[in-house]
Amino acid sequence: MQAERFIIRGDLAAPTFLPWVARHLHRLGLHGQTRRESDACVELLVQGPPDLIDAMEMGVSLGPIEAWVETIERFRINGLPDG
Amino acid sequence: MTDPIRDEWYPVALVSQLGPEGRDTRLLGEPVRVAWQDGAIIVTSGGHTLPSQQRYGHVWACPGTPARPLFDIPEADQPGRRLVDVGLVRVKCSPLRAVENFLDIAHFPFVHTDILGAEPHTEVGKYDVAIREEVDEVWATKVHFYQPQAAKSAAGGITTEYMYRVPAPTVSILYKTCPPRPGEWDVITLFVQPLDEELCEVWPWMALFDDDTPMTDLIHFQQTIFLQDRSILENQLPHRLPLDPGMEIPTRADLTSIAYRRWLKRRGYTYGAQLVAA
Repeated sequence: MQAERFIIRGDLAAPTFLPWVARHLHRLGLHGQTRRESDACVELLVQGPPDLIDAMEMGVSLGPIEAWVETIERFRINGLPDG
Repeated sequence: MTDPIRDEWYPVALVSQLGPEGRDTRLLGEPVRVAWQDGAIIVTSGGHTLPSQQRYGHVWACPGTPARPLFDIPEADQPGRRLVDVGLVRVKCSPLRAVENFLDIAHFPFVHTDILGAEPHTEVGKYDVAIREEVDEVWATKVHFYQPQAAKSAAGGITTEYMYRVPAPTVSILYKTCPPRPGEWDVITLFVQPLDEELCEVWPWMALFDDDTPMTDLIHFQQTIFLQDRSILENQLPHRLPLDPGMEIPTRADLTSIAYRRWLKRRGYTYGAQLVAA
């Protein structure tokens, strides 16, 4: 198991974006949390097997049709915060 | 205002096979006629003459106003290459699915068994994928794959290096190491004519360094490959190419497909695409 922080940047103002990310986490069987920093930046904390975290990055890079993901930066973290 | 779908160039005929009777076909769901007139080839649709040109063995037409020149394949003019008009394969699938399948290396051992791949050599190694902003094209480079018979001219298995290039939404170009000419790349293209959103005609074309193999064998080799792909493509679900990954779980081997879909999304090219996950 591994935990990472994704900083997702792009045109992310669509209200469908965060629910879409949550659904995609669920589809991949990953645990995670999202937080909107702005219309152009979303933070995702994710935990699970490394290959599935890679798959999450690829899925999010495409995202829902209403959003455009320009970049995703990834950082290793020790785990998801409690709660 | 430009139309990201109508303002592209599309193949509509093979110059060498266009007889005096012309060709009646379809493009983006509309009837199109390709015909000789006073020694020149013209393309008409709905009573209008479309912008057209002849290049890479094919007639190209644009249903709208061309947004850019036809993409360049410099190798087409390189002396010593044989230019191979492979012909036509009609496939009941989205034109974008046909391009995506061409970009998918991981299927070689399973679909083109003992020709382009073989078990247990199924692993796709790390490779680079980028949208090259300066030319607005998708490129995948440093792709290495073991192939039992990489080309008609190859004797026995070799590790082949590939580059993939998507210069237009319904065109893909594969560059692969050329067994008889180290340092050069064989060029194999897939020109896709969208008849409608779930039906297309695929026109493979090649520019090869191969002086020995009879032309009929070269054509037969590529036709065999594309006919193997057809049965897979026609049974793929969803029929249209998802621009939202939905239930799909892309892996490292799918990086080129993901880059292609991102590029289509950014260009607003949605003909043959599924916009919302099923």
